[in-house]
Amino acid sequence: MTRFKTLHILNKPPEHARYRLCLSAIGPQDGLLLTENGVLAITQPLAINKERCFALAPDLEARGLLSHVSSDQIASFDDMVDLTALAENVISW
Amino acid sequence: MSTLIIIDQPPYGSWEGREALDMAFSLAAFDQPVSLLFCGAGVNWLRKGQDATTIQQKSVERNLAAAPVFGVEALLADNKACDHYGLTEEDLLDPVSITDFGPELTSRFDHVAFAG
Amino acid sequence: MSNSLPEQTKTPAPAGVFTLVITGAPYSSQAPQTALHFARAALAANKRIDRVFLYGDGVHLASSLSTPPSDELNLSEAWAGFMAENNIPGVACIASALRRGLVNESEMQRHELSAFNLRAPFEIAGLGEWVDSAASESRVLYFHRGS
Repeated sequence: MTRFKTLHILNKPPEHARYRLCLSAIGPQDGLLLTENGVLAITQPLAINKERCFALAPDLEARGLLSHVSSDQIASFDDMVDLTALAENVISW
Repeated sequence: MSTLIIIDQPPYGSWEGREALDMAFSLAAFDQPVSLLFCGAGVNWLRKGQDATTIQQKSVERNLAAAPVFGVEALLADNKACDHYGLTEEDLLDPVSITDFGPELTSRFDHVAFAG
Repeated sequence: MSNSLPEQTKTPAPAGVFTLVITGAPYSSQAPQTALHFARAALAANKRIDRVFLYGDGVHLASSLSTPPSDELNLSEAWAGFMAENNIPGVACIASALRRGLVNESEMQRHELSAFNLRAPFEIAGLGEWVDSAASESRVLYFHRGS
């Protein structure tokens, strides 16, 4: 798992004000983990490199979106533990 | 360990901002460095001349004005959000400084949190 | 002991201890479920959880009275069971809890209320518990509502 400067955990849908706030706070060495309603973001154009953007598998699956994401972007809860443990900082939006 | 508490909810319509203030004041009470950032609709906390008596709530204007005395290091307001809500420097409570929201700002803190 | 490693080559050790702060209420947000899945995965990865702190609407998770239909997961019960099994302290913020009608026996007596409804092993305490985690080496993770 990658070691990010800040890991941003986003659980809001694209229409939420905090969704936009989160995207405007992502720096060049940061990662983005989409959870809950946040996984809906993968249906939208996202200005973040795919190598730095992950989505939580059970939330994708629940919303019928698992097949919309490439396998290396899909994160399990075990991956979420690794990502949050390795990052220098974590922000939950 | 420095903390930035972000308030992005407008005042009075929800309790989230109050609970964010409680977090900031608690850190300050335990001598932990903390700053408050108001962005989005949250900048409306900072407008002078609030009076919430008729809606039977406590105005937070006095609490915010006293934040530096309680040890809150900075009250920051996002520049774009202030523009959006027509807030100029003269409209804002005295201890507030205007800043630009982005990774440069959040990365200055070890811990960035919302109340809800 | 070797001191030959220059400072800049050091990468910080991965976080070994987590504090989970839940601010989203059960049955109005997914936050308590996501937090529980995360907590189980963290323990499986040999991480420690030093505290679960309920804040704002998250305090409803500590209610002993929530009674979902029998074909739905009882989140309060699931969380209480998980904490008891793994010896993880759970704390509901006193100011958030009292405002929202979540009280333990001593608060019931102090405020002369007719009942108490805090589910064991949850306790009621101040924000100082959260400050304690925030000021420690623990990695504090927040689980907010998703809407």
